[in-house]
Amino acid sequence: MRILSIIVKRLLWFIPTGVGLVAVVFFISRVIPADPAALLAGETASREAIDALRTKLGLDRPLLVQLFDYYGQLLNGDLGTSLFTTRPVSSDLLARLPATIELTLAAMLIAVVFGIPLGVISATHRNSLLDHALRIVTVGGLAVASFWLALALQLVFAMDLGWLPLQGRISGFPPKPITGFMTIDALISGRMDQFSSALRHLALPAVTLAVPALATVVRFTRAGVLDTLGKPFVDYQNAIGIPRALIVWRYVLRNALTSTVTQIGLLFGILLAGAVVIETVFQWPGIGTYAFEAILQSDYAAVMGFTVYAGGIFMIANLLVDVTHAIIDPRGDR
Amino acid sequence: MLARSVGLQCRWLRVALFSAVGALSFAAACVSDARTAAAETRFVFANESDYDTVDPHVAFDVGRVAVRLNIYDGLMRWQKNPAVLEPWLAEGYEVSKDGVTYTFKLRKGAKFHDGTEVKAADVVYSLERILALGKGASSLLKSMIDPGNAKAVDDYTVSFKLKKPSAIFLAVVPEIHVVNSALVKKNASKDDWGAAWLSKNDAGSGAYQLDQFDPAIGFVAKRFPGHFKGWGPKYVDHIEFRGVKDTNTRVLGLLKGDFNGIGGYLQTDQIKKIEASGTAKVLDAESMRVMMMQFNVQRAPLNDVHVRRALNMAFDYDGFNKQILGGLVERNPTPLPNTMWGNPKDVKGYAYDIEGAKAELAKAKAKVDRPLEVHYLTGFAQSEQAAQLFQNGLQKIGIQSKVIGTPWPTIVDRFRKVETTPDISVYWISTYYADPHNWIGEMFSSANAGTFKNAHHYKNPKVDELLAKAVESTDKAERAKLYEEAVRIVVADAPGAWIYNTKWYGPYSKNLQGIVFCPIGNAQEMRTAYYE
Repeated sequence: MRILSIIVKRLLWFIPTGVGLVAVVFFISRVIPADPAALLAGETASREAIDALRTKLGLDRPLLVQLFDYYGQLLNGDLGTSLFTTRPVSSDLLARLPATIELTLAAMLIAVVFGIPLGVISATHRNSLLDHALRIVTVGGLAVASFWLALALQLVFAMDLGWLPLQGRISGFPPKPITGFMTIDALISGRMDQFSSALRHLALPAVTLAVPALATVVRFTRAGVLDTLGKPFVDYQNAIGIPRALIVWRYVLRNALTSTVTQIGLLFGILLAGAVVIETVFQWPGIGTYAFEAILQSDYAAVMGFTVYAGGIFMIANLLVDVTHAIIDPRGDR
Repeated sequence: MLARSVGLQCRWLRVALFSAVGALSFAAACVSDARTAAAETRFVFANESDYDTVDPHVAFDVGRVAVRLNIYDGLMRWQKNPAVLEPWLAEGYEVSKDGVTYTFKLRKGAKFHDGTEVKAADVVYSLERILALGKGASSLLKSMIDPGNAKAVDDYTVSFKLKKPSAIFLAVVPEIHVVNSALVKKNASKDDWGAAWLSKNDAGSGAYQLDQFDPAIGFVAKRFPGHFKGWGPKYVDHIEFRGVKDTNTRVLGLLKGDFNGIGGYLQTDQIKKIEASGTAKVLDAESMRVMMMQFNVQRAPLNDVHVRRALNMAFDYDGFNKQILGGLVERNPTPLPNTMWGNPKDVKGYAYDIEGAKAELAKAKAKVDRPLEVHYLTGFAQSEQAAQLFQNGLQKIGIQSKVIGTPWPTIVDRFRKVETTPDISVYWISTYYADPHNWIGEMFSSANAGTFKNAHHYKNPKVDELLAKAVESTDKAERAKLYEEAVRIVVADAPGAWIYNTKWYGPYSKNLQGIVFCPIGNAQEMRTAYYE
């Protein structure tokens, strides 16, 4: 019941949030000085040609007219047509989304699978050499510039050692997509060589993306576990002879994970909105580079389409975090 | 309780064991996968720009020229260096006495990739499509020919009736890339002229046929055996052009062997690194792409010619070209590339002369009483370096300045109005066709003021008169004299400073041969390439 109530409330908030988000981004993108008509018309275009193209694209209409026109399109599920590709923005986004999801899932898997246990170990060995080392490493992970880390990993693992590929999602030009997830498509096709290649290509960008996420998960898990270890029920369980490992990994961890789960959800949302720097360095054809190009070219429809997508992702991520929170801790706000 | 706790411990142990095995398998897959060697008959090029469309009537920019040159053909094509216009799909042409009607004879037997023959109706449709879409070469062509004035006289003869005589029409004809009209019409929806379909499909007759396209990655094209030009004994079977934004990734990819060619707009140290690698080589040729600064001549104090001449003498050309750029470019003292006809050979331009600059400033009526804004293109390191060097020179003659990085779309928008155009903008003018009009005609015609090429907002009736005569005349010698006179006036007026003419650098795999450079195309036509 509580979960249903959370879902309904959040869904109701989606609408005004979405309307406001679209309006804000719409006006910001129009206010920034840029002339997509001139860019589209080309370097040799005359002033008349540029003005004619601007009129043809409807870019000379009053801003409010353009905005309400866009709301009308959204109600029909239409994210508009890219000025530069002349394709529907929705199809451009859908084509790139699997790449971003695959990278995000891989990064979050690394962050969660290694981050939670490391956080627990750090907390249960508080102030030991191991704990200090982990804390230094996690601070470093948060502080390191992702583009520097990406370049460094490329130099070491791709160039010097030759263990892993430099860029891209797979060796050679990608095959025609089935789901768009390179690893899954390879398994469906029965191509273990492609599966292996996809995993190898995924390694460096996923690790680069995972580092700050892993650092965050370690730190939040550590803090949560430390806080829970001080609770009276832990003393009671110790006193009645329950094994320490069981207390920590079953009882303490479950109680400690609420804030970690929140962070994981938010991180997931952030990463799904696209990691521009990492996608650029590793030439990973995801949503991030699409949005970057759209902004650079002032491709208004693509910018707005990406905004709707990213805003939706964040709202859904927040909803899932709240629901998960309610499942983990059914006590609610008592 | 104890049994339950042991059971739970076992469960956690299984989870931990499974995770470890999974991680080890992942690592094993990563290390054990043998990388297959790239086939010799495949050429992979890493480009600075993305290929978000393969529509030849939209992808008009220099960055995406590979689409036009490999998948499509035009009536004529620019070849060689210096660029020469050669018949291509057309065997020849005639011009009417009044210079208004151009009639082209198509060669028979040239085929589209679907096997149908290229006919005059396809040429007519292609021109109408360019004019209707309003992108790419549309603006250039619209200034010369109205819709409805291209006619298929018969299956192999097409005529174009211009609004008035134009010397540059022939130079622009290569940009009418011929599409398979029946195929495009079949796939067109509503009034889009097939734009959505052709953005990711092939309707061409070029030496290569589109095989795969992913706008997020690039395109692959396979050799078209039936191309009218025929094939030599050696060639590349597949060409792959990818957008790879990061310069470092492109360079490392070439050195590693992921790519066989990359774009040559690199920093000096990267070119030297590639040359020293042993696995790649760098070809070079004099090109036609002038780096310059454009001054907003409508805003004080830059509306004073003495101030502008002083600015010209405050830039250390040799310091920039020979030291910062390591001698990899040639000084270009006028707005026309050194190699272009119509450039007066006796005009030496301005030299770095601080005392001379101060003397010019002393003659100026306008006082430079505010910092000048020098805008460079964000992401283009050389333009930033030039701006900073210029700032140093300005300081020596007592002028304060601010160096500001501006993204390309923003600066293009700012050029529209005098009030928003920067004082000084640093960038390049590329080659779309090898005619002086590409530079001096479009840069200094007052009708073009406020466009990318005329960010000076330069308006000189005498120059307009010369340019108008030059573009209407079909006598090359006469045109050359008119352009030379225009260049002299412009250099004396100093609405900008002209720094260097680009040398093209082509980083390629060491065993790749047959690359032919033409300033229009940047050596991205792959028909003649092969591996040793």
